[in-house]
Amino acid sequence: MSIQEIYNAVMEYEEEDVAELVQAEVDAGTDVEEILNKGLIDALDVIGEKFSAGTLFVPEMLMAAEAVQAGLEILRPLLVNTGVKSAGTVILGTVKGDLHDIGKNLVGMMFEGAGFKLIDLGTDVDPEEFISAAQENAADLILLSGLLTTSMPEMEKAVAAIRDANQTRNLNVKTMVGGPPVNAEFAARIGADGYSADAPTAVDDARAFMAAGI
Amino acid sequence: MTWTHRERILAALNHEEPDRVPIDFGGAEFTSITLAGYEKLKKHMGVDEPTEVMSIIHTCAHPAETILERFGVDTRNVQPSAYEGGVDRWVDDNTYYDTFNVLWKRTEKAVDQHFLHQDGPFHGDKLTVEQVEEYDWPDGKNPGLVRGVRERVEHIKANGDHAVCLYIPGGVIHRGYAMRGFESYLKDLYKRPEALQRMMDKLCDFWCDNAVSMIEAAGPENVDIVYFGEDLGTQDSCMFDPDTIYNDYLKPRHRRMIETIKGMTNDKAKVCYHCCGSAYQFIPHLLEIGIDALNPVQVTAKNMEPERLKEAFGDRLTFWGGINTQEILPFGTPAEVAAETKRIIDILGKGGGYILNSVHNIQAEVPPENIVAMFETGVAHRYH
Repeated sequence: MSIQEIYNAVMEYEEEDVAELVQAEVDAGTDVEEILNKGLIDALDVIGEKFSAGTLFVPEMLMAAEAVQAGLEILRPLLVNTGVKSAGTVILGTVKGDLHDIGKNLVGMMFEGAGFKLIDLGTDVDPEEFISAAQENAADLILLSGLLTTSMPEMEKAVAAIRDANQTRNLNVKTMVGGPPVNAEFAARIGADGYSADAPTAVDDARAFMAAGI
Repeated sequence: MTWTHRERILAALNHEEPDRVPIDFGGAEFTSITLAGYEKLKKHMGVDEPTEVMSIIHTCAHPAETILERFGVDTRNVQPSAYEGGVDRWVDDNTYYDTFNVLWKRTEKAVDQHFLHQDGPFHGDKLTVEQVEEYDWPDGKNPGLVRGVRERVEHIKANGDHAVCLYIPGGVIHRGYAMRGFESYLKDLYKRPEALQRMMDKLCDFWCDNAVSMIEAAGPENVDIVYFGEDLGTQDSCMFDPDTIYNDYLKPRHRRMIETIKGMTNDKAKVCYHCCGSAYQFIPHLLEIGIDALNPVQVTAKNMEPERLKEAFGDRLTFWGGINTQEILPFGTPAEVAAETKRIIDILGKGGGYILNSVHNIQAEVPPENIVAMFETGVAHRYH
């Protein structure tokens, strides 16, 4: 029984094994932050790298993220009690007029797996919903997703509204955009703070924002 | 010689250069135009015929004959009619159950009015073989599906020699996502492959039965192209592993579907396979099971640059689509659209092997001027 076994169970997508092994480590008195970082997050990072490199695909990422979730469910209350800080708080949603959520859900799973606090607003999200959720949760980042080319103007409007709220409504969040029709050039043009090509890269980019103090 | 529409399409599919690039518009549910885009196009072109809906779920139109003629379109679509006596039903204008008892919904305020599947008969915890076996599967030979098909084909044959493009919807992946749920289906590929494969076989049975009765109704000698497909790629990668998951579970079913078409038509009908996103790594598998053409050739996806595709597969594969719907059609000027269309024809159409069409259905925000520029460039094109 060791943290390495938890790591291995994530790499093998064995959700039930992960839950059992995490519980056993907790019962043995192992530091919960170490279980989280070395057992769960490190494993999911490797899966994420392989996904970005095109050697693993959507099913593997889904299964690994769910295996990590199974472990997180056990760790979450303990992390709160021991005062371990979350990696950051993110608001996530597909922009107004767009109902697609496959990519957004993958992003959400990877952020939760990486130890972020996630507030998923679902699809067809108004700019104002993003802003009020960010205010209520003292969020660090707002992640905006869209599949349709017709969503791109909505993304632009939402980013403008959030930037405005940063100036006038005591908000302090960064915006990141993603989705098939979106690229770095578009993100820069609409004033978004970041663009990520896929879910694991989005986690890395968010970590960089957090490390820079947002 | 004067080329007929049909000869033009068949030449391209046989890797020969006809007089000009052949053109498709509305040959299938994924090579047409969304209803909102179509209304704008009709207005721009001064066409006031009522709109005929091709697919409610995909919210796209059957372009009117006057528009097809204006754009020199070489294909004509034939597809199944409505299933009779099935479980499909409307709950309200935005809520629909299909023949497979899948719940589809749309939100009226959504820009594209597109329906997405929300629930299905196998959603839930674990999929079992018994569950699949006990399910009351619809019948691919349902008489409603072929209603009017013979007449439609006769009409096409009597009104200009166009290529008959027979579209057979469904398959074993997308309909499976709808019935089981997208994430569950993908996980079942690893966790419950036996039950999932049983579901794939049931879906494959339905598809093959439908294909047989459609080809019989159309008359096997009249079918030039059978169009079907389901997405294997994402924007930047593959949905699943091409060499294990696709090869072991999905390819055998796709092979059976293609053998059904080829067997029914004495190898005469050409098979066009639709796959959005980055299809590159799947193409060798698809060629192995006998596809002739690939649609929609999403040139903005990874490894889908036209030069790369033509170089790697151009001697064996016809490319169908390729005019950039993610950037140039919606956001370019008519001159940019014309230049891009010419560029794609020059690359993908060299030596034949290319049929002009947008990448997937033309979306609502595409200016009608750009649609006209794309098709007019095709009509004006000459190989010699």
